[in-house]
Amino acid sequence: MSLTETKEWRPKIVAFCCNWCAYAGADLAGLNRLQYPANVRIIRVPCSGRVNPQFVLRAFQRGADGVLVSG
Amino acid sequence: MVAAAQHPQIELLTYSEIENISGYVGNFEVKIRKKARSVDPLKCTGCGTCWGKCPTRVDSEFDLGLGKRKAIYLPFPQAVPAVPVIDREHCRHFTKGKCGICEKLCPAKAIDFNQKDEIITEKFGAIIIATGYDLLKWEEVYGEYGYGKYPDVITGMHFERLNNASGPTKGQILRPSDNKSPETVVFIKCVGSRDDARGKSYCSRACCMYTAKHVHQVLEKIPNSQAIVFYMDVRTPGKAYEEFYKRSVDEGAVYIRGRVSRIFQEGDKLIVRGEDTLLGRQVEVKADMVVLATAMIPSKGWDVLSKMTNVSTDKDGFFQEAHPKLRPVETFTAGVFLAGACQGPKDIPDTVSQASAAAVKVCQLFTKDEMATDPMVASVDESLCSGCGMCENICPYKAIEIKTITERIAGKQISRRVSSVNKGLCQGCGTCSVACPSGAMNLNGFTNEQILAEVDAICL
Amino acid sequence: MKRIGVFICHCGANIASVVDVKKVAETAKSFPGVVYATDYQYMCSDPGQELIRKAVKEHRLDRVVVASCSPRLHEPTFRKTVASVGINPYLFEMANIREQCAWVHSKDKEGATIKAIDLVRTAVAKVGKNVPLFASTISVTKKALVIGAGIAGMQAAIDIADAGYKVVLVDREPTIGGNMVKLDKTFPTLDCSA
Repeated sequence: MSLTETKEWRPKIVAFCCNWCAYAGADLAGLNRLQYPANVRIIRVPCSGRVNPQFVLRAFQRGADGVLVSG
Repeated sequence: MVAAAQHPQIELLTYSEIENISGYVGNFEVKIRKKARSVDPLKCTGCGTCWGKCPTRVDSEFDLGLGKRKAIYLPFPQAVPAVPVIDREHCRHFTKGKCGICEKLCPAKAIDFNQKDEIITEKFGAIIIATGYDLLKWEEVYGEYGYGKYPDVITGMHFERLNNASGPTKGQILRPSDNKSPETVVFIKCVGSRDDARGKSYCSRACCMYTAKHVHQVLEKIPNSQAIVFYMDVRTPGKAYEEFYKRSVDEGAVYIRGRVSRIFQEGDKLIVRGEDTLLGRQVEVKADMVVLATAMIPSKGWDVLSKMTNVSTDKDGFFQEAHPKLRPVETFTAGVFLAGACQGPKDIPDTVSQASAAAVKVCQLFTKDEMATDPMVASVDESLCSGCGMCENICPYKAIEIKTITERIAGKQISRRVSSVNKGLCQGCGTCSVACPSGAMNLNGFTNEQILAEVDAICL
Repeated sequence: MKRIGVFICHCGANIASVVDVKKVAETAKSFPGVVYATDYQYMCSDPGQELIRKAVKEHRLDRVVVASCSPRLHEPTFRKTVASVGINPYLFEMANIREQCAWVHSKDKEGATIKAIDLVRTAVAKVGKNVPLFASTISVTKKALVIGAGIAGMQAAIDIADAGYKVVLVDREPTIGGNMVKLDKTFPTLDCSA
């Protein structure tokens, strides 16, 4: 992952966000210009109920250090 | 009111409650309970003989207990429809098995003690929730105002009834305790509103203005009267509102910025003790009447309706709009719209605007004979589906049914059970696709393959 | 073989002042399936949409990714754009590099650019798996139910009825009117409430 190019180690975090709440919340964070580290990557899902445990396992398999399911 | 009642396209179902809502946008099926009125509306002429002769007197809910009504009653003289109901909890015929005087005297023979609740089922294309508000029960939380033990400490709504020409005092402002005209009336704003500790965190939005109106009415109707308002802020963000408030001040209302810490009785006066935060000192007022501007809360039954319609509410029970700025009358249940104070406290001008907006949304839906559905819904691969029904149980929108299909396999006709998705009901959440043990259920637009491709790419 | 086009939006300075949009577009050209990538000041504007349409025709694109604001804002806009040049609107994806990147990492330009590249790669990966979807239709019963006959319910019912549709107006009380009929005069005009 391109993140590893930065000098100090930072965890890769994959977030599954429900389109109607958490994803909208992440948009709202942007509208309010709240700042958070750039190593969080958001995948939009239609509902947290859509998150199959398989997706979480796959993220870890592919090298994610943390997975957040939010909805 | 009359415009709604007389409109040929509007059917009124009063004294009726929603029992159940099923179906989906364009095709809701609703069960409505028509509660037994005990009066045949087709025969009744509204002459009033029955409630004139009824011997049972109980507190009128419409007048908030300030006046009385009979056991057979119209809530108020101009009620629509002008057909009375029998309150079976209090009517002697139902409680003691005696009486029946209304039945004997009714010239139209409209009284029907045997009437039963009737449940009707109708189909609708759209639903508007317009259930309005109740007032916070301040008596349960505000000990410093006497927990409701002083009859002359009333709410703004009581004050409206006292002021109303068809109300219990024929429009005269009189103290409930002794029917005397009050000279000094104290108003307290934000009772339950903007009070995180004991009430609600929000502003109820209409109180500043109706208090200004009440003040004006006291000063106008009662000679030599005094009106004193305790307030936290005066909020008048509406067209002609600030001017209206200013007028009440010009008429002589005294506005004191601060909270009231205690009300107690001394003789026939109510002593109101509070603080003037602008002058930084204690104030004490000998009042004849105290009017509380209590917080608006969602109308009772909001929780049941929320479940029936699948429309969520906020922490206080107000129905949640789809977007606070851009979709204020829509909900996340397609075909269900919001109007008025059920969505949040609001005054009459805002309520009317929102109601018209909701009506337009409904009309938009009705202009087409058929509506396009969002294709991002669940879909079943019938060749993989075993018909186990896991998806049917887990679906929050009741959009999945198990159906039987017939196939030709190796020259033989066989029947087996598979899931089937109702595209109108499905909201595209995809919970079913996670529950499916055989990978037969997938969600269009957010398939397993698509999301896994995203996971792979994002972790690269 | 898929032919994906990628369009990176500057959103004026909103995105471009933080994210190196040229670098993102340049990098996107190396992603599998991508045959064309470019950047532009305002993708949602008329010239921006025209740029997408022209590129679709010139480069025979069959899938489109726009990296700009939140899809909650402009997904419907761009779906219409691609549909107008014959691409199924569901063969389109967005990468959210404004709300969820430029605006929230404004002090970390390098990190934000790396993240934007990742987000575009993700959208490209997804769009590669997209299939055309088609809306189906359902019938509509042209009759409305209004629950509650206070001022809101009555107003809504009258407006719908005036448009020519049937309305059933339900209230649990014996009369219509709700809280409003309890009121005396109403502000700011002091006319009666009935």
